Amino acid sequence: MKPDLKSNEFLEVVDTYKGIIYKVANSYCTNNDDRKDLVQEIIVQLWRSFDRYEDQYKQSTWIYRISLNVAISFYRKQNRRKAISNPLSDSILSFADTSPVSETETNLALLQQFISELKELDKALMLLYLDEKSHKEISEIIGITETNVATKISRIKVLLKQKFSSR
Amino acid sequence: MENTDIINLWKAYDKKLEENLILNRKNAEEITRLKVQSLLSSMKPMKIFVIITGILWVLFVDGIVFNFFKIASPFLIGSAIIHVLLTKLAIGIYLYQLILIYQVKINETVLATQDKLVRLKSSTLWVARFSFLQLPLWTIFYWNKSMLEHGNIWLFAIQFIFTVSFTAISIWLFFNFNYENRDKKWFRNMMSGIEWTPILKSIELYREIEEFKHEGVPQ
Repeated sequence: MKPDLKSNEFLEVVDTYKGIIYKVANSYCTNNDDRKDLVQEIIVQLWRSFDRYEDQYKQSTWIYRISLNVAISFYRKQNRRKAISNPLSDSILSFADTSPVSETETNLALLQQFISELKELDKALMLLYLDEKSHKEISEIIGITETNVATKISRIKVLLKQKFSSR
Repeated sequence: MENTDIINLWKAYDKKLEENLILNRKNAEEITRLKVQSLLSSMKPMKIFVIITGILWVLFVDGIVFNFFKIASPFLIGSAIIHVLLTKLAIGIYLYQLILIYQVKINETVLATQDKLVRLKSSTLWVARFSFLQLPLWTIFYWNKSMLEHGNIWLFAIQFIFTVSFTAISIWLFFNFNYENRDKKWFRNMMSGIEWTPILKSIELYREIEEFKHEGVPQ
């Protein structure tokens, strides 16, 4: 594929699934600067893996796998190595919402805080559950059996209910 | 709040993201024009360098042992043999790490990728543990027949204290330099100036992975 065509196709994919990238980065990084770096790193790794995308899996599965793998590995880096020589000064993804804070926003903030407090793999599972992914897709992303997914989702549901009841 | 309410809350958030999240296409495009490395590329050169240097060193010491076996002091030869064996173990670990680096695929399942990454990071602790076992050798290698025949009681006493202390310390460190002791003051003092946090976090994640894999699976 010609470089420009490939690049354009890649950008279309990123634009289509930018919500996934943003949600993963937001869950794994509470600090703004770190989040910006993480989004950049996720997109870098998506670009590197673009040629190796296998269409036996959905594109969203591929995006989740890479985003989650990069996010979980991100905190373990000794130095925040920049994969490109000049880090971008502006964010790749920005959120333009200026609506006033409502009760929904407060509840959402609570939910996001709860997610950020979870362990790394539970965080991934929670994101996939909230995005209403099927057990099959969760199994393909995380790498556990569908039966194991069902057990864990039951636990997550109980945990969620407990957390909100205690607030 | 019921779980259905929570799911609806998340759906509302999703809708908001769809409406308000903006991709800075220019910046994203810049990434596609540059040569970018994989997550682990930066580790390869150092691993390869250490392996090559280690192999050359081992060949050199093996050469000395082979050529001077009959004439050199048995303490020197014995120390060299143990040193080389431990160095070979360390080289083996580096090779294992290099193989893992080549095997890691960021587009595999989360557990498959993270499992390899944590093994890669946490195996570094083993290199340190094998290095500690070499400590007593540095108190023995220079012994020779003349020293044993003509040395006085004080020399033997001092040597004995050094060798026994270093042996005890090296064995103790080999067994205790591990994740369980990460919060101990001596561990933190030893590790000051070295970035061990990523390694310790890798071990923590390794345990989480094991727990995650086996949760809900009948034993």
